[in-house]
Amino acid sequence: MKWLINLWRTLNRPARYLTLGTISISAFIMGVVFWGGFNTALEATNTEQFCISCHTMKDTPYKELQETVHWSNRSGVRATCPDCHVPHNWTQKMGVKVAAAKDIYGEIFGVIDTPEKYEKKRLEMASRVWKQFDKTNSQTCKNCHDYKSMNWDKMSPLAVKQMKQAAEKDQSCIDCHKGIAHHLPDMGTSRAPELIAQVGHGVSPVDGQEYYSALTKELFEGPTGDKDAGLLNIATEVKVLETQGDRVKISIEGWRKRIGAGRVIYKDFGVNILTAQLTKEAAKHEGTIRVFEDKQDPMTGLTWQRVEVDIWTNKNYLLQNPDMLWSYAKDTYNTACSVCHTQPAPAHFDANTWPGMFQGMLAFVNMDQDTTALVQKYLQEHSSTFDKSGHH
Amino acid sequence: MTMNRRHFLKGLLSVSCVALGSTSVLKPLTAMAGTLSEPKEDWLVTGSHWGAFRINRKNGVIDKVLPFDTDKYPSDMINGIRGLVYNNSRARYPMVRLDYLLKGWDSDTTKRGDFRFVRVTWDQALELFIDALNTVQTQYGPSGLHAGQTGWRAVGQMHSCTSHMQRAVAMHGNFIKKVGDYSTGAGQVIMPYVLGSTEVYAQGTSWSLILEHTDTIVLWSNDPYKNLQVGWNTETHESYFYLAELKKKVKEGKIKVISIDPVVSKTQNYLENVEHQYVNPQTDVPLMLGIAHEMVKQGWHDADFIQGYSLGFDEFLKYLQGQSDGVEKTPEWASKICGISPERIRELAKVMTTGRVQMMMGWCVQRQQHGEQPYWMAAVLATMIGQIGLPGGGISYGHHYSGIGIPASGAAMPGAFPRNLDEGVKPIFDNNDFKGYSSVIPVARWIDSILEPGKVIDANGNKVTLPDIKMMVFSGCNPWNHHQNRNRMKEAYHKLKCVVTIDTNWNAGSRFSDIVLPACTTLERNDLDIYGAYANRGILAMHKMVEPLYESLSDFEIFTRFARKLGKEKEYTRGMNELQWLEYLYNGCKQANNGQFDMPDFASFWKAGYYDFGPGKPWVRHQAFREDPEINPLGTPSGLIEIYSRKIASYNYDDCPGHPTWMEKVERSHGGPGSKKHPIWLQSCHPDKRLHSQMCESDEFRATYTVKDREPCYLNAKDAKKRGIKNGDIVRVFNDRGQLLAGAVISSNFPEGVIRIQEGAWYSPVGKDGAKAGGWEIGALDSYGDPNTLTLDIGTSKLAQACSAYTCLVDYEKYTGKVPEVSGFSGPIEVSV
Repeated sequence: MKWLINLWRTLNRPARYLTLGTISISAFIMGVVFWGGFNTALEATNTEQFCISCHTMKDTPYKELQETVHWSNRSGVRATCPDCHVPHNWTQKMGVKVAAAKDIYGEIFGVIDTPEKYEKKRLEMASRVWKQFDKTNSQTCKNCHDYKSMNWDKMSPLAVKQMKQAAEKDQSCIDCHKGIAHHLPDMGTSRAPELIAQVGHGVSPVDGQEYYSALTKELFEGPTGDKDAGLLNIATEVKVLETQGDRVKISIEGWRKRIGAGRVIYKDFGVNILTAQLTKEAAKHEGTIRVFEDKQDPMTGLTWQRVEVDIWTNKNYLLQNPDMLWSYAKDTYNTACSVCHTQPAPAHFDANTWPGMFQGMLAFVNMDQDTTALVQKYLQEHSSTFDKSGHH
Repeated sequence: MTMNRRHFLKGLLSVSCVALGSTSVLKPLTAMAGTLSEPKEDWLVTGSHWGAFRINRKNGVIDKVLPFDTDKYPSDMINGIRGLVYNNSRARYPMVRLDYLLKGWDSDTTKRGDFRFVRVTWDQALELFIDALNTVQTQYGPSGLHAGQTGWRAVGQMHSCTSHMQRAVAMHGNFIKKVGDYSTGAGQVIMPYVLGSTEVYAQGTSWSLILEHTDTIVLWSNDPYKNLQVGWNTETHESYFYLAELKKKVKEGKIKVISIDPVVSKTQNYLENVEHQYVNPQTDVPLMLGIAHEMVKQGWHDADFIQGYSLGFDEFLKYLQGQSDGVEKTPEWASKICGISPERIRELAKVMTTGRVQMMMGWCVQRQQHGEQPYWMAAVLATMIGQIGLPGGGISYGHHYSGIGIPASGAAMPGAFPRNLDEGVKPIFDNNDFKGYSSVIPVARWIDSILEPGKVIDANGNKVTLPDIKMMVFSGCNPWNHHQNRNRMKEAYHKLKCVVTIDTNWNAGSRFSDIVLPACTTLERNDLDIYGAYANRGILAMHKMVEPLYESLSDFEIFTRFARKLGKEKEYTRGMNELQWLEYLYNGCKQANNGQFDMPDFASFWKAGYYDFGPGKPWVRHQAFREDPEINPLGTPSGLIEIYSRKIASYNYDDCPGHPTWMEKVERSHGGPGSKKHPIWLQSCHPDKRLHSQMCESDEFRATYTVKDREPCYLNAKDAKKRGIKNGDIVRVFNDRGQLLAGAVISSNFPEGVIRIQEGAWYSPVGKDGAKAGGWEIGALDSYGDPNTLTLDIGTSKLAQACSAYTCLVDYEKYTGKVPEVSGFSGPIEVSV
């Protein structure tokens, strides 16, 4: 403690040889010199030449950029590295610059000096950049591309639909346009990127409100810990009961068949629309599943039970309403399932016939697991079981 | 080209017309072929239903066609490829049926099929097409137009013709569509109730696992060696590697193959040492019931599997053992119907419950009256055997189709030119009032619909009100091949006001149209295709080999012009041309595979012609279900195998009750109904030398299998002798529905009472005088041999309402009349007004 007091005294003592003016002026000059130098140096790092002076930058992202319209187009306008990656706003710019120090470390220590290593790190690096774009609401894109200046007449009807929705919310461009200048990373682990780009990562849930899952979500037995309790299906309505850290306790209402461990929950009595699948342990766990009345399904002879399940899940990927999910599912269904034949209207079959028809054709389409589950649920929830409107 | 001039003039009333005869044949084609397209290197790459090829050109004409580098088992149909471009049946110019050109919407429709057409310009043809659409939408609304009858098209993700036609016509107005298809109509409806998926189009257990684990393969009415030659996308023919391995294992006695089939199949002849089990046609269900009865009696069935994975066995048992209908389905009972001794039925029950057994069903047995039943009953047998979900065990319904059983690579495949309107695009006639008619009908009931509009039929638990169809549009789809009973079709066509066909050639579908638009073949445009429909082995470039011949155009170009006339060109093309679309589709695929496959840029891919995703990992059908039926339920109402379906029972259909049931057919050979009058069963299976009716136009290749220019008709020697018929004779095959000429081929593969004429033979009717122009007559003789001249046009049942082509009795005789020239392969009788 004594050394701190000594230091304070030294600093507190008036200057013995220099006048206050000298100190002030030289501090000012030095400030100008350093600030100017710093800014000049900083500006030097804002040139394409600087960016590609590292091998990894030159060999991979720079090359990829050259394949895109941002590099070569009929109008002769070119976006170089800093145009997209360095915001004009000073605070944002400094944030980016500080973060970029990591790149220098990486370059010096050869973290990404082979294509293989680069690909391995690509998702991590891309995620960082996407986060920056999220923070600035894709301001660097908007420096050139302004929602207000877009000419809807020159766009395809599909683009108009998507763009107008985005414009209304002043949506961040990167939400949908990931991979526009560089190759997309292997998204194998980050699921259904196109779906998430459209519906977003979810909202911050409020206790007591109802939400819809934007992905198939993991369930947990408690507010902490990794104890797997099963899966909540995509596009499923849940009620948030309480929030603890990153987790929410949710309540799921539905029905189950009295077969096996009774751990598969469906949307309604006699309707095979999947809501959740619990692990055997979770299903047996006292208090997780509350059981109400029994009813026999005349179409199968199976007995069903009404249930409520209280269980935990991460609080991300919860949406306020399912409209965007259904809109995405509809577009996917109409495109993917019309390559070989006219796609039947969702109301052409009932909710329990769709799984058989849809699964019987899946070999012909490309859909990840989340999208498959979503499209099947879309077809079931818009099937003749619910839509009684007219002739099909 | 003989033409009855008197008859001709009579039909023309006062208009003066000059017959030009059909335009000339092969020779002038060389001169008319267009300039070479880029790139100019030799041996360009392309794909087809028949496989991938390398093709070279000489003097602007396609010269040699060789199998693609990776195709080790090419089909001999490769010899027919060149003839798809150069043949006498090519559609060369837009043409309009004479009377339609003169009188339009109110033309004399009874003479459709007289083959008299007038050449018009593209502008005229498209305007007539749009005029007709305007008329039907104004006078009848969308229920008057059926543009939904689609079929096998040609391969290519960009130019797939049915997508182009439907997208473009939808920009004009709404129309009737179909559900289901002719190939698997009953199967794809019944199986979701039973095994929870269409099964017929689902990926099957990998061949490698079957070779490793299976003791006995039961081929039930299944001929994979014949049918795997073609695929929905460009076929890789990898399946033939596994069939060759199977042949070795059969020879070594390591795998036993039983083929249950009235005839000896091509597969059986290839594999050799196959145990053939003859069964009377259409009696597979009694045979299966007899086998099931024996399994239960001996306790050979897997009671635990039945208990854990299925529902309704007890209900079924009441039927099997006779409690519910007083008839016990013993092997003795079955024997009397199916023609197999009770001892042999018992033996089959033993064999099928010994070791690992893989049942493989073909599609033919479900294309008959009550075609739902053999598929359902086979699933019940497989459930009783209890090996569903085990490697090399259980049952499949598609190992003969499009390379099912080759593991999928897991790669994402390229998308396609969109069939649907883009979001926000509205048709000009934005009218959804179908006037109480159904807007979607079962695929095989459209002729019923034209003949009996307003009739309410049952279909798959729903009521369908058949619409009053006045106009039809077909593209790359020949209804005069796939539908049944030609003479009934002619009657229906009298009621159609306008028929438009877009096709590469003058098949019978074009012949019975009013406006015919000539599309170019796959070799005359750029495209890309999926290599291996289920294997997803790679992406294949389809390089344009020659410019479109004559005035033919690509489907994209045809409908771009059509859309331009509607003022909707940009909505149609999205502002992209052919190559831009290809690049767009390719890049979409590249992006979807990012991180998994390092695909080159489009230009490099296009130059190389192929990108290979490599082989996939072996896979077992229904394995997940077997491992945990609760978490991985089937897509049935209960999630389990449904031996008894309460849902089907709730429909109360007399022809499709709640469990598999034997029901007598309206026609059945070997002692069944109608067999006294017409004792012979006609088998009209998928052809060995065509894809349905595609490639029948390939003249030189057709000549390799025809008999005196006619489609071969395969006969049993005893039957032929009885009728005084020798190999190579022309025979007349007939019943009360029609008559055809075909060429006799006597073969030991066919039992007594059975003949085979393969479907896809072009309908070539001639008048009583033998003239081509007389083909419009009801009852006209088919001079080439299309089996659907004779088949029965009824639904399989109230459930599927699918086609029943295999329920068909005929008789045949040596043809002694004046032999007419074959009328189907020389295009129309061109007249000018």
